[in-house]
Amino acid sequence: MATQAAPGAGTRLFHPHFEGHDQISARTLGFWLYMLSDALIFTGLFVAYAVLNNPMGAAGGPIATQIVNPVEGIWQTYAVLGSVAAYSLATVALKKGSKAGVMAGIVISILLALIFLGYEVRDLMGLMAQGHGPDRSGFLSAFFVLIATHGLHMMFGILWMLVMLVQIPTLGFSPNVVARLLNLRMFWQFQATVWVLVYVYVYMIGAF
Amino acid sequence: MSAPHSNPLDHPEVRQASTWRYLAGFAATIVLMQAALTVTLRQHLPYTEYTLTIGGLALASLLAQAALFFGLDISRAQIWKSVSLVLTVPLFILSVGLTVWMFQSLMQRTMIMPHNMTQPTMLQ
Repeated sequence: MATQAAPGAGTRLFHPHFEGHDQISARTLGFWLYMLSDALIFTGLFVAYAVLNNPMGAAGGPIATQIVNPVEGIWQTYAVLGSVAAYSLATVALKKGSKAGVMAGIVISILLALIFLGYEVRDLMGLMAQGHGPDRSGFLSAFFVLIATHGLHMMFGILWMLVMLVQIPTLGFSPNVVARLLNLRMFWQFQATVWVLVYVYVYMIGAF
Repeated sequence: MSAPHSNPLDHPEVRQASTWRYLAGFAATIVLMQAALTVTLRQHLPYTEYTLTIGGLALASLLAQAALFFGLDISRAQIWKSVSLVLTVPLFILSVGLTVWMFQSLMQRTMIMPHNMTQPTMLQ
């Protein structure tokens, strides 16, 4: 049977070569768990939308079949997926240690994200101009909150990218900056994943 | 979790970046969404078959994103992300399924539905 010495003054609490948690992995896993909880928020919004997408929930106003157009939505899908692909390719440049490559990828990603948001704002403003704002019915409240919550996430992602465009040239690829870039990649990909679900459920099935 | 690295660019999650994988993920998602749009515009399937087809294409798209964009697998660097996702997916299904079932059941028992439920669509 193995014996274990009682802890004393010579006990080593840390071993220099211990293969334990590293800072970057701990931060990306923590952020991943945050994103899963964020996904549950979107789940609640999808549920509210599903429950209210009927003539009762519309209270005399329009339901999904009358306000969504999947042909227009596909351009938003191209934009958000292109933005994610551009940011993902920026992380390939990160692997090579290329600051210019990472920053170029981020700039392209921001531009495509702005195109996406332009479509979204135009659609929501158009509905409001027709008198179909979020205060018109329970269904429209759920629709606006679902779309706008995703849009707010996109805006926050753009803000995060702008911060990284400042930090990369000033701080370089430090552990903190690299961890932020990796977390941002997950966050940005998450927005495309949520959008695919919005597009399929709201814009396609909703229009059928 | 992986071992500490003195150079952050040597971290496994940085080394995982791959041009072909990201381009494949982008192409796969675009093709699947375009296929779903084509099925939607043709309107040749009954509603149940249509939702199953579209749902299948969406699921394939999510799997392609998980594998090719997120890079989820059972490697040492990614195993806990994969495990946490697998453990969270039932929560998504329960949240959506039980709530929709509950409200649908409630609506059938309490609401007087309008005679004409059909309304013109943007596709017509």
